[in-house]
Amino acid sequence: MSPGTDDPPLCRLDDLAQGEARGFDVPGLRAKVIVVRRGDTVRGWRDLCPHYAGGTPMAWKRDAYLNGARTHLACHAHGAWFDIDTGVCVQGPCLGKRLTRVPLKIDDKGGIHPERPPRGRET
Amino acid sequence: MQIIGPDLLVFGVDDVPACHEFLSAYGLDCADYTPEKGGTYLALDGTGLVIRPRNDPSLPLALKTGTTLRLQVLGVVDAAALDAVEAELSRDRQVLRLADGSLRTQDDQGFELAFRVTTRKPLDMPGEKVNAPYAPARPANALGVTQDMPAKPRTLSHVVLFVPDIDGAVGFYRDRLGFRITDTLTGAGPFLRPQANPDHHTHFFIRTPPYMQGIEHLAFHLGGPTELMLAGSRMMEQGYESFWGPGRHKFGSNWFWYFKSPLACNVEFDADMDTHDDDWAPREAPMGPEASQAFLMQWRAKWAPGGGPGGPKG
Ligand code: FES
Ligand SMILES: [Fe+2]
Repeated sequence: MSPGTDDPPLCRLDDLAQGEARGFDVPGLRAKVIVVRRGDTVRGWRDLCPHYAGGTPMAWKRDAYLNGARTHLACHAHGAWFDIDTGVCVQGPCLGKRLTRVPLKIDDKGGIHPERPPRGRET
Repeated sequence: MQIIGPDLLVFGVDDVPACHEFLSAYGLDCADYTPEKGGTYLALDGTGLVIRPRNDPSLPLALKTGTTLRLQVLGVVDAAALDAVEAELSRDRQVLRLADGSLRTQDDQGFELAFRVTTRKPLDMPGEKVNAPYAPARPANALGVTQDMPAKPRTLSHVVLFVPDIDGAVGFYRDRLGFRITDTLTGAGPFLRPQANPDHHTHFFIRTPPYMQGIEHLAFHLGGPTELMLAGSRMMEQGYESFWGPGRHKFGSNWFWYFKSPLACNVEFDADMDTHDDDWAPREAPMGPEASQAFLMQWRAKWAPGGGPGGPKG
């Protein structure tokens, strides 16, 4: 299946402030996709902290994924910090583990989409 | 050793306004908040949390792991109990007597501790009353629930720590401070109850690698399961995120509902915990989903069946 630019975008680049993170439900995925704006590009990560097997969602409130200084993604269960560009945990219980990347693309209207639609259905 | 349990937990956090928002929604009261200095967040009996910016010079030094918990203030029953703690711990470590009369020291793993004569104010509030067949607990016309009934944290219940050395932790809290082990989850660690508190646990330790040493969660007691369900539902409706629960633990029988928080640990609502005395024989069970709860549920937005055959949209 070719990447569905016909699918509605998760959001548009303009909807996100510089450095902002937001979580989106994607049909077929059991956990949200976190989109973080970095300049004119975006990073995508599964909302699954790797501390516990299977992963658990990380925000303390809807869309509250960043640490106080807005320098890292954080899991607010036990304070793990993740590099926004590499997904690597730099502090906390999952030190050395990393988040699962979701490759994103931006269409010519600024809409942000997962590069590949999810395969099958997660349970 | 006549210790009651944590009166205050002191945190150094990286987002003070976020913690203020979260703890206010959770139901603690704060009279002295500023975004620069943080504040003190109290339950109804005067136990609570102190939130400061992580670089606040008044805080004890942070552990290398980056945990936000900087100090536990443990309440004891009276001045004689405080003297007893001082005498015992002074045998092998420095114990400072501060100007306010409190003691300051560290446990064997470097967690900072203070002891003081407790300042908690006993509450004169009824607990939840349940009507069972032939055994009503509420008088006629007394309602079990109203949508806007208060559901506020009544007292600080317990703190759970990730510790690299369980034997060291037991050696300190049981053998030096006289805590009782009430039950043990093998593979994780023991539940501990101080002598002057009948609650199943004020402390629980979970074995982890050293880089994880720090706080796992803290909990306040509510007045009963209905208050817990209401308090948690109000959090969910405002967009706060559940980590685990609602459910009911097996060891301790306490209802639980954990929320992730900007304190960088889970913050739990707790209700109806078992109490014990020294006749209790500790149990043991392997750590895991089966031993951790009698049942576990997941919140959903309000919904109701109707009369008509409305189908999915109806
Ligand atoms: S679950 Fe994310 S840090 Fe523990
Ligand atoms: Fe708990």
